[in-house]
Parts: sequence; C-alpha cells; structure tokens
Amino acid sequence: MTSFRKILIANRGEIALRIERACRELGIATVAVYSEVDRAALHVLEADEAFLLGPAPAVESYLRGELIIDIAQRAGADAIHPGYGFLSENAGFADACENAGIKFIGPTAAAMRALGSKTRARQAADAAGMPRTPGSTQALASLAEAYAVADAIRYPVMLKAAAGGGGKGMRAVNHREDLKAAFEAAQSEALRAFGSDEVYLEKLIERPRHIEIQVLADENGKCIYLGERECSVQRRHQKVIEEAPSPVVGPDLRRRMGEAAVRLAQSQGYTNAGTVEFLVDDEQNFYFLEMNTRLQVEHPVTELVTGLDLVHLQIRIAQGEPLPVSQPDIELRGHAIECRVYAEDPDNGFFPSPGRITRLLQPGGPGIREDGGIYEGWVVPMDYDPMLSKLIAYAPTREQAIARLLRALDEYVIGGIRTNLGLFRRILNDEGFRAGDIDTGYLDRLLAQPLPYTTDDNLDAGNEDVAAIAAAIFETLRNGKTAPAQTTASPWKSVARKEGLRG
Amino acid sequence: MKLEIEIRDRLRTIDLEPAESPGHYRAILDGEPVEVEANLLRPGVLSIVVAGRSYRAVRENDASVGNGSETAVLLAGRRFPYRVEDSRSLKARRAHSGGHDGPKVIKASMPGRVVRVLAGRGEEVEAHQGVVVIEAMKMQNELKSPKAGVVIEVRVLPGDTVSVGDVLAVVE
Repeated sequence: MTSFRKILIANRGEIALRIERACRELGIATVAVYSEVDRAALHVLEADEAFLLGPAPAVESYLRGELIIDIAQRAGADAIHPGYGFLSENAGFADACENAGIKFIGPTAAAMRALGSKTRARQAADAAGMPRTPGSTQALASLAEAYAVADAIRYPVMLKAAAGGGGKGMRAVNHREDLKAAFEAAQSEALRAFGSDEVYLEKLIERPRHIEIQVLADENGKCIYLGERECSVQRRHQKVIEEAPSPVVGPDLRRRMGEAAVRLAQSQGYTNAGTVEFLVDDEQNFYFLEMNTRLQVEHPVTELVTGLDLVHLQIRIAQGEPLPVSQPDIELRGHAIECRVYAEDPDNGFFPSPGRITRLLQPGGPGIREDGGIYEGWVVPMDYDPMLSKLIAYAPTREQAIARLLRALDEYVIGGIRTNLGLFRRILNDEGFRAGDIDTGYLDRLLAQPLPYTTDDNLDAGNEDVAAIAAAIFETLRNGKTAPAQTTASPWKSVARKEGLRG
Repeated sequence: MKLEIEIRDRLRTIDLEPAESPGHYRAILDGEPVEVEANLLRPGVLSIVVAGRSYRAVRENDASVGNGSETAVLLAGRRFPYRVEDSRSLKARRAHSGGHDGPKVIKASMPGRVVRVLAGRGEEVEAHQGVVVIEAMKMQNELKSPKAGVVIEVRVLPGDTVSVGDVLAVVE
C-alpha cells in the first residue's frame, strides 16, 4: 500500500477542479495541465502546480499522453487521474502510465480493453450471465450477415459502432428495406469518428429507460454497487438530467441489476470506479448496454444519496487500500437530481455559445451543490465540450428535490453567453417528468411540443413590465443622461458616471 | 427621459424621471404611472421594488446596444431580449426594411471557427442554401443565404475565427 503525495490531473473544466478539491481534502498536492486557451481556467488557478501542454485543439494538448506522463515524472507525481473524456478510457495511456511507474487512477488496461469495445463487452456480459439486448456479439462481416441477424431478432433493430459513444455510428432501422443504407451510413460514420468501421446489430427496445449502476472495486477483489442513476432525459443520446434513485427502481430490481453489474466487473478483474449501463423496458426487464470504465459526469447524485465521496474512494483504491464499506453498508437516503448546464442556446437550435461570462450569480442554500469550472470574466473556449457546470439538488424526496432545483435555477444567472438553464425549468415543471414518466425519447417529444400555456404566463406579463422598466433604467445609466440620485453622497451618481464612461 | 423599448417583440414606451429620494423613479409605462425604487448593486445587477414586490434584474451583456444589436434582461428566471430605439431611428429602420430588396448579408449566429465555404464569390445560390459552415464546441452550423441570388462577397476563409454578428458573406 502506498500513499500518494502528488497527483497530476489530466483534464480540464469542472471535473479537474472536482478532483483537485478531493486531493486538497486528502492532503495530496495537485498538478494541473492546460492548453493555451485554458491558462486562466479555474483548474489552473486552484492547482499547486501547472504546466502548459500546447495549443487549444485536444490532439495538441489534453490528448498528448506522452507529454502528460513526461510532465508527471518531472513534477514528481505518483499518480494520474484522467477524469472523464480525453484519455480516461484509453488503454494505451493506462499502459504507458504503468510502464513509466505512475499509477493510473482507474481500471487496468486489460479490463479497459475487455469492456471498452461494445462487442467484446457483450461477449463478457454473456459469460457473466447478464441479460442483454438480442443481437450480434461480433462485428457484422457483411450486409448479408446484417440481414440474417436482423431477420432473426426481427425489426425494429439498432445498428451501433463497436467503438462507439455519444450517439455516433448509431442508426435505428424500422424496416428491412432501410437496412442497407443504414448499414453503410453507420459504417462510414463509425470509421470517421472512431477509426474503426466495426458495427453490430441489436434489437431496438421501444421507449427504454436508461438506468445505470455505479460499481466500486478495490484491488483485493472486493466489488460493491452503489445503487442506480436514472439518465433517461437525453437529447441526441447525450444526458441532460440525471437522478438517483430512479423513480421506477425498487429494492428487488436494484439488487438484481446491482448484482449483475458486480458479476460483470468481477469477471474482468475490474478495479476502481465504473458504471454499467442498462436499458430498462416498461415491464422492468433490464438489458446490458455497455460499461464505462471511468468516473461519470453524473457521479455527484450517487455521492449525495450514498454519503460516499467517489473521488476520495478512487484515490484510496488506487493506493491499494481495501474498500472501507461493504454491500450491506450501502443505504440510499433521499433523492438527488443533476442538471448539466451547457453553453448552448435552446431557443436557437441548441447552437453552442462560447464567449465571455459577463455576469455570474451562483445559487446556494440548503441541499444545493454546484460543481463548476467557471467564474465571472472567464471566456468559455470554443474548442471543448460546452458543459459549464453541474447543478445538483438533494432533498428527502423526489418532489422536494425538484422544488429545490427550481428554486436554485431561479437564483442562478449566467450572462454574456447563452445557456440551457431555461430548458431545465421547462422539464422540471413538466407533468410527465414530475410523474417520473420518462424514457430516452422523452425530451425530444417534449421539445417537439409548442411551449404550453402555464399559470406562469400571467405572472410573466407583470414580469415583462418590470423587465421593460429595468431595461430603461440600465439604458439611462449607460447613457449617463439622467442622474437618478439627488444627494451628493449617493452611490447612484458615481456608478452612473462609471457606467457612462464604460459605454 | 423617454425611451422606446422593443421587449420580447413588443414595443413599449417608458418615460423615466428620477423622483425626490435617491434611487426612486417615477416611470410612465405605456401611459400608466408606476412608482419604482431601484438600487444598482453592481454594474449590470439591479434590485427593483415595484409596488412592494422585489425583483432582481440582470443585464445580460455589456455589449453596446445600438440599432440592430440586442441584449436582454434576466428576471425571475426568464430572459427578456430587448432593443432600445429612439423614435426616429425606429421609424427609419421600419421604412428601410419594408419592401427593400437590396444585397443581404449573412452574419455569424454563434462565435466559432470557419470550417468550409460552400458557395464562393460569383456563385448562384437558392434561398436557404448553405453558404458558410462554422464550428464551435464540436458542433457545426451551416449559415444559409436569406434569399436566392448571387454571392457577391465572401469575407472569411476556412480557419478564420468569427464572433457573433460578423458579416460572413453578402448575397445580391
């Protein structure tokens, strides 16, 4: 068993900051790496040491594994935490860390390889006796084979890239006559996105829920599950809202899914934190989807309902410590919901909206956690994922967590760039969401509807009047045409002057 | 002073006069008098009390608001886009936009990097045909021609960085 003195965080944004905070709490020094456009980022500011990687594009900065290992060696780091994305699921990088004598905080390269490809993971699922969607467990060799598999499992079917992720290389096929075009499109998209044109076929589950199980495994063979996360609110296969527990998972289903996830992890000698994703149909049958061999974006909802700090535990596991908790210790308490706050414009086709954050008022108070990487004045670069922060509410019940999240959303102001904060207000007020009646197609259906009339609209008319007056006051101050205050000591006058000068 | 503000696509008239006590205004909104007490907490953030109701109003942007550009007030969890006009320029703009059919510009609707120019100078384009592709945050956005015509000018090259509102091309 070793004790880390210094950890390099091979990531940026909110997750780099999240990991730095955990290191601080554990008394471990931190090394940040950054690209040229991230010099002023929070993860650089909050680290003990910081090293430049290169220009903005990820291939010239955050994906430069060799350089990152070199920096870790020069800085004397004992371990590298990869966060999520970038190098986190790159088995070659995990190998290179090991060869350099630096601990990779995550599973072994062998476990990553066994579970990283979706076809190999489906074979592992069969070996572990886990239910999965019917279909192939190997790459389709030809169109003829695709027809044969699809005919056997019956339409509708889903074509997927073996190396896939983020919805790329995926095609739903409803009829036999559409298979040829979809097969070719999925192959070429997979080749472009992942450098491999391997695709496979599986039965399309109608209106599935996306529910995943968090597992933790130490290096002595002990593995536990920390309950589920419901991640069915998605747009273009990207999660938008996640919660724990799921509104439809009871103790029995949770135990069956959890035990299946643990079986899969143990069959591959999996270590550290991982997530086993499932689709769940409306009859509560669950099907293995894939395993993510890293910390997930949405890990905070699990932390809140279990009371465990997953990043602390990742580090302790990587140090060789045994898991400090056992399965019977894991009790879920309360309900947590997370919103992924993105720099994008829901009123304008979800276009990305990078740029300078000119105003930032952050929410607080009971049960609110914000994992962010932004500050007022920060320029959100155009080169990376548009996620700004994660806003998480925790309360005794789901209903109270929704109310708390809505309250926090009203407190939250991000100005200068457009964000999807308004989208969450709409979802959290929607009856379907409030009833827990969600599946992976839920959000697309909601967005296809015209904005409903709500009782808020009456209130909105009054708000519009006040907004008009506020706009007039802002403009008056900017132009400096009217000095609003009459006394000489008034702060109004000096601010008005400043505002006038700034114009 | 009197202002005309187009807010959420409605034109409102606001006459704003400072009252005797600091921070107080007498406002006349579309002919209706309103007592307003306002306190600028810091640039761009106002605390407003209207008839005993308390509001926080935040101006979204520092960018100057002139003709054609737009900013917004964030209030009660809603975004209220607005545009300020003095009455003369508003009338002029309306007269200008009515029935006029000259060259039209294609502007960047998001900041990003130009990845492709789909229609070069001299090329004929249909209405809604893509002319320039911009990429930001791993998403590509095709900027389309507002009308059928000929591209008479392309002001960007692949690799260029553009800001919101930058003119990319002109179609006549």
